[in-house]
Amino acid sequence: MKTITPYLLRFAVTITVLTIIFRYFLSYGIENQLKTIIVACSITYGLLMFISGFYFGRKDGEYLPIYDVGFRFHLTTYLIHNGISLLWIGLGFGAIHENIDTSIMIALYWGFFLLIHFIFFLWAKKNSINNLDKEDLFE
Amino acid sequence: MNNTNETTMKNEKKLNELLLSWENTYKKGQLTLWIFMALQEGEKYVDEIKDFITKKSKGTINCEEQSLYRALRKYEHINVLTHVLKEGNKGPNRKYYYLTNLGQELFNEFVDRNIKLFFSTEIKNILKLKEQ
Repeated sequence: MKTITPYLLRFAVTITVLTIIFRYFLSYGIENQLKTIIVACSITYGLLMFISGFYFGRKDGEYLPIYDVGFRFHLTTYLIHNGISLLWIGLGFGAIHENIDTSIMIALYWGFFLLIHFIFFLWAKKNSINNLDKEDLFE
Repeated sequence: MNNTNETTMKNEKKLNELLLSWENTYKKGQLTLWIFMALQEGEKYVDEIKDFITKKSKGTINCEEQSLYRALRKYEHINVLTHVLKEGNKGPNRKYYYLTNLGQELFNEFVDRNIKLFFSTEIKNILKLKEQ
């Protein structure tokens, strides 16, 4: 079953680049205690992530309308953001004041919400055939 | 006399509007049937499917390339049709689509349940269709 679509892959590449850039500026801001950089890069990152999700999500729906209530995009974001964050700090690229425990806690809290989203995904799956909405299958 | 003409024109306009509205609703869901019918003749690539639909439906079924590709991707995803790559005349290989066993079975069942009833004498009489 094809659930890893070209647009999901393009989204994954885009947010990987965005997250690495974000991590760099965040660590730089924390290291040098520059609040403006920390706030600016966080807001920019949040906005760009939202725009990427919106754009690629819409394109993905036009390509193949997989009925997953956005779960694949959420899971991809979760894996990439937390994976890069943990590796960034784990490999020693983080600022002195950055603690890996904080990133682990973020991954755990976020994981809880991801789990709730997964339950919604399972519920939506009941109304689908091969992950496509039963009501919108034939045109 | 003028009033009669105006009324006739108004009625014609309304009839056309109603007809278009009904046809728009009726045609939703028709694309699948036409794609499946196109593939009854054997495997076809997108342009051939499009030509078949335009020609056989006498242009009544709007078959935009984007909608056709989207529909074909969906039907491949649910395993009712699949494709084989074959060399085109020029350029890249073409995807030739054909129905899987599941797709053929689905088509046969759909025709049995929804299309054949239009060919009963009773329904033909209601529709005032003359044998040609």
